[in-house]
Amino acid sequence: MSASKQTVERGRIEIRQASKVYDSAAGDILALDSIELDIEPGEFVSIVGPSGCGKSTLLRCIGGLLSLSSGEIVIGGKTVTEPDPRIGYVFQKAVLLPWRTIEENVLLPFEINGTVDDTAREKVYSVLKMVGLEDYLHHHPNELSGGMQQRVSVARGLVMQPEILLMDEPFGALDAQTRDTMNVELLRIWAEAGTTIVFVTHDIGEALFLSDRVLMLTARPGRVRDVLDVPMPRPRSFEKVEGDERFWQLRQVIREALA
Amino acid sequence: MNGKGWLSEKWLGRILVVVSAVLLLLLWHFLAAQTSSLILPSPWAVATRLVEFVGSGRAWPHIWLTTQEILAGFAVGSILGIGIGVLAAEVSIARRVIMPYVIITQALPKFALAPILVIWFGFGMGPKVVIAALIAFFPLMENTYLGLTSTSSDQLELFKALRASRRTTLFKLKFPHAIPAIFSGLRVALMLSLVGAVVAEYVGANKGLGALIIVSQGTLDTELMFVAFVLLTALGVTLDKCHELIYGLVEKRLYGKRSKSGSTGVSV
Ligand SMILES: Nc1ncnc2c1ncn2[C@@H]1O[C@H](COP(=O)(O)OP(=O)(O)OP(=O)(O)O)[C@@H](O)[C@H]1O
Ligand SMILES: [Mg+2]
Repeated sequence: MSASKQTVERGRIEIRQASKVYDSAAGDILALDSIELDIEPGEFVSIVGPSGCGKSTLLRCIGGLLSLSSGEIVIGGKTVTEPDPRIGYVFQKAVLLPWRTIEENVLLPFEINGTVDDTAREKVYSVLKMVGLEDYLHHHPNELSGGMQQRVSVARGLVMQPEILLMDEPFGALDAQTRDTMNVELLRIWAEAGTTIVFVTHDIGEALFLSDRVLMLTARPGRVRDVLDVPMPRPRSFEKVEGDERFWQLRQVIREALA
Repeated sequence: MNGKGWLSEKWLGRILVVVSAVLLLLLWHFLAAQTSSLILPSPWAVATRLVEFVGSGRAWPHIWLTTQEILAGFAVGSILGIGIGVLAAEVSIARRVIMPYVIITQALPKFALAPILVIWFGFGMGPKVVIAALIAFFPLMENTYLGLTSTSSDQLELFKALRASRRTTLFKLKFPHAIPAIFSGLRVALMLSLVGAVVAEYVGANKGLGALIIVSQGTLDTELMFVAFVLLTALGVTLDKCHELIYGLVEKRLYGKRSKSGSTGVSV
């Protein structure tokens, strides 16, 4: 394999017949059933589907936090067996450490890597500024609202500038306005850095605004219901997207499919 | 003191404490007047004796020895308790081996061991430290274990995603998370060490506040016995305050300016 090919392939995610069975006290639960999807390097893919259909489960499997029951997930030519350093993760819950300040929370990935230096601190400052929390560096999480905490966790996911970003309803707890700002910021970073993003959301509009493609899952067990291309041109703005007829058509299609 | 409510809850509480303490002292005084001073000395007699006993310097060797026994037992029990708690939390095979012994040790009435410990270690500090350590051990082991194993699965998942080593997870997640539990274990251990040291002194000692109680029982010096009670209580309160102070500092360091109960100036 040539070097250039490898570079191109690095952020590619191949999901092959991925199934996941949880064994719980109430018996086996089939959460994911034969998911099949290729995600191109630098692509922005959203996952939508009813609550409990396995969106978080799929993201965990891609992130190497959970092993599949059958099938495989390949990232950049390597089968996922454990968490990958190229991946940044934003969890559905904020999961901040209450004994650390906001700055220390976002610095955590560097600390665990053993790479804390001035550059790391500058990066922490700039991501916190990006999510609008540069004034809260030395506050503790319990002094922040739920939405602010979630933004801190987004900052922590972004701070290492990962090649692949897995985001599990990262803006779920935000008011509409902050969410819009975050969406625009996220697209800016994505366009700049060429990150591959897999983004779980409940919000169809958000999925369409952000993504190249939208993966629709069926209710449990999660199967691929459909994968839709989102044709609206980039760079996107709310005015342009909302003025685009195709946005409303797709929205209707997804809504009916999920109903 | 402030314009709206004439008395804050804080001050009302303080006043009630003083008033009830005065009432209790009066009750004591009244009861003492009804009986022989051999059975119940009056509060004033105890106070006078206390001032004399402490002022003359005769109290200090007793206080100092008992304090040393408590602190030594507490230190040994805490170090072992925390150490074994960490081991049990981190190494599952260690947990399986340790737990049966721990349960047996706990079921064993440790004060009942005092006589044999005196036979083994003599009348010096040894048996006191051993007993204090034995009973200080358990709350620390248990609280350390619970603290280290009660991190949320979300937090563990975060550390897993960040590819933290076991050691990093222990030091950056589990330990900081366990600090409040460990400190509440330390508090209980401190109080139990006091009880342990005093009971061990009952069995065999010629110095220390517990020994003083036994001696005064022998000489029917009830007044002196009460003086020893007061000194033991003061010692216990002092140790507890030290714990509170240290925990306050640690908590401030961990959580910044968060205060546990900032209920100052609540108007009635
Ligand atoms: N640890 C687990 N043990 C057993 N079952 C689980 C576990 N985690 C998830 N499940 C089950 O698997 C299914 C998928 O869960 P998952 O969290 O992936 O759903 P989701 O699509 O992310 O839902 P939501 O949109 O509400 O976040 C659910 O039905 C859930 O009950
Ligand atoms: Mg979910």
